[in-house]
Amino acid sequence: MDALIIDDSRAMRSILRRTVTELGFETLEAGNGQEALDHLEAGRVPDLCLIDWNMPVMDGYTFITRVRANPDWRGITLMMVTTESEHGQIVRALAAGAHEYVIKPFTPDAIAEKLELLGLVAKPVPA
Amino acid sequence: MTVLSAPSLTDVQMVVDEVWGTFLGTEEPLVPGPAGDLEVGWSAAVSITGEWRGLVSVELPGPMAAEVTRRMLGLVDGLDPTSDEDVADAVGELVNMIGGNVKSLMPGPSTLSLPVVAAGRVARPSDVVEACRLDAGWGGAPLVVSVHVHA
Repeated sequence: MDALIIDDSRAMRSILRRTVTELGFETLEAGNGQEALDHLEAGRVPDLCLIDWNMPVMDGYTFITRVRANPDWRGITLMMVTTESEHGQIVRALAAGAHEYVIKPFTPDAIAEKLELLGLVAKPVPA
Repeated sequence: MTVLSAPSLTDVQMVVDEVWGTFLGTEEPLVPGPAGDLEVGWSAAVSITGEWRGLVSVELPGPMAAEVTRRMLGLVDGLDPTSDEDVADAVGELVNMIGGNVKSLMPGPSTLSLPVVAAGRVARPSDVVEACRLDAGWGGAPLVVSVHVHA
């Protein structure tokens, strides 16, 4: 599985990279929505995108609308990971095509649980 | 209509504790209250505009900013060097998370700006007044998180 981490903060990309690498993902990174689109247009299409909302050049919401407008990318799972926590914004992102929404700060377990729900990570087998 | 109100100190403390504990570890928690004279090495601010308008800022000494950066980047033992660019990025993300969660406490809808980061004190607009100030200590050094509102 491949994950594309889209966040303008290198520190946050590092935190997310460590989190999803532990869950078995290979990672790509982008500093904004346009850089992420460049990856996709170059054929580097991941299974999962973790997307910040507020970024320079192209924000996460616009990125989601651009991805959902292209049928070739309909298989990508889109997860917002952002400090934006207003109900209206969550609804807007989900209506645009995001599958899940995680509010920062998050724990690795919170990310893992969302990915389990999405079927991208196997649930741990009880001992 | 713009609402002239501010989050409580308790709410800000809760937000800062959650961000700090989640990304910087719980083994060394923030200690509330002034922890000595703050020589500001780095600071960052985000502004919130909309139904509620304010500015959330963080000020911390240089060595603490470097340690925050090392922890967020997952560097070990405090020995790895961090560049000013890395520190600015990490401190900016810190205030982004604190500001975003303060925003969620206030009436919306509103918009969060990208962070502004400075080596030293970040400039504030002249028409804002301090509405809430959290003094805390971490690793024996002081930091300040403040919320300003437009007068």
